[in-house]
Amino acid sequence: MARDHNSDMDYRGPVRRVLVTVLALLLTLLFLVWRIDSPRVERLRNAFVDRVVPPMDWAMAPVTKVAGMIGSFQSYARIYEQNQELRRELQQMKAWKEAAVQLEQQNAKLLAQNQVRLDPKRTSVSGVVMADSGSPFRQSVLLNVGARDGIVDGWATMDGLGLVGRISGVGQNTARVLLLTDASSRIPVTIQPSGQKAMLMGDNSAAPPLDFIETPEQIRPDDRVISSGDGGVFPAGILVGTVVKTKDNRFRVRLAADYDRLDFVRVLRSHPSEQINEAGALIPPPVAPQPGFTFRLPGPAGAEGGDG
Amino acid sequence: MVDPRTATLWGYRSLFLGLVAVILFLRLLPLSALPDAWPLPEGMLAHFPDWLYPQDWPGADMLLCLTIVWVQRRPDFSPALMVAGVFLLEDLLTFRPPGLWAAIVLIGTEFLRQRENSTRDLPFWGEWAMVAAVIAAMTLANRLILALFMVPQVALGQAVLYMVTTIVIYPGLAMVMQYVLGLHRAAPGEVDTWGRRL
Repeated sequence: MARDHNSDMDYRGPVRRVLVTVLALLLTLLFLVWRIDSPRVERLRNAFVDRVVPPMDWAMAPVTKVAGMIGSFQSYARIYEQNQELRRELQQMKAWKEAAVQLEQQNAKLLAQNQVRLDPKRTSVSGVVMADSGSPFRQSVLLNVGARDGIVDGWATMDGLGLVGRISGVGQNTARVLLLTDASSRIPVTIQPSGQKAMLMGDNSAAPPLDFIETPEQIRPDDRVISSGDGGVFPAGILVGTVVKTKDNRFRVRLAADYDRLDFVRVLRSHPSEQINEAGALIPPPVAPQPGFTFRLPGPAGAEGGDG
Repeated sequence: MVDPRTATLWGYRSLFLGLVAVILFLRLLPLSALPDAWPLPEGMLAHFPDWLYPQDWPGADMLLCLTIVWVQRRPDFSPALMVAGVFLLEDLLTFRPPGLWAAIVLIGTEFLRQRENSTRDLPFWGEWAMVAAVIAAMTLANRLILALFMVPQVALGQAVLYMVTTIVIYPGLAMVMQYVLGLHRAAPGEVDTWGRRL
């Protein structure tokens, strides 16, 4: 087929091809650099997201609000039943509130008697969810708190009730939370009445499966799942959700956090637990090295000869 | 005074960028942190296998579909640099390995762009089949390279579902572009606003 462009435009084809090749090579180079030195490129990416996404905030707010209003408008259809339901729940809650107040008073009394110092680790920073991950295969959200607020990679986040995920990627003013549903999320958990340890493996579905369970027979649907704190990344004892059983006898977790409307989340400050590295000078009294005693290692025969 | 032909060209180019911005914006909206639900009734979902756990619907890659529709219809309105920039931006925003998918999309669209004028007389299903093959090849290349570099990836079932959905919505999107924006395939012998043959 003849050239389509005019003859004076003929140089455009080859030049263009070279430029496109260079462009493709540059992009591939970026990928390779990312693969070799991931933390540095991720830091660049965080800085970029930090710069780009917050200015969209003002545009997102009204759209989110309207979508929320449409959602609540749909629920007007069954407003009567809802009202009845709420009244019933309120009645139950009043009973619980009474119990809670009594317990609180009792607790305060006991604490005062005990002079207990509560664990200072459990303080938190609250943030607002700013943006979604934007990809169907990455389950994460962007918060409006970042390094400026002292957020550190790896901290746990929860909404009012349950665990939401952990911080992965911190910019100056934003931080990304990797949700428990993301395919790369792995959290050690304990399943409550039976005390079984398991791993919660995110797989891009709304109810992540449990894996590495020691004795699955001891687990029943509706058991409570809480974080176990193994590995030292997460604080222990935060509610994760309840167990559900699927048709093929696998266990999944219905998450306690309300993922459908994540709005405010709390980032729990966790300080690295103190490591005990040495045997401890307290337990045996320091002994002076005895002359003539050598610690015999299973080794070359020459060591034996030197001893005798 | 801007030359009206230049104005048209850049008008369409900025329209393309505007559509891209709208798609990215809608995807970043924090409406729900749950994975998307299947657009099907509960009764059908009960029969689905476990690897497609309900509420596990990846949707379609609108951005890729839009780009290919534009490249197939008017290549000069979606130049290579713009395509690369848009997909690099998406890579960065959606926490994919940066650069790889952008490079693959660039190569894929260049392949289509070079064959655009020799495949103009194909019927629509021919164009669709070619696009489907290119999308499949791009997905495969992406997975192979990621596997080669040992980057963790999504499950194969979901990736295939995502690809198939993208291919399925292509005719719909092409039709919308054609009837709403007047973005049609150039007829053989059609000239552009400069009087050059397209």
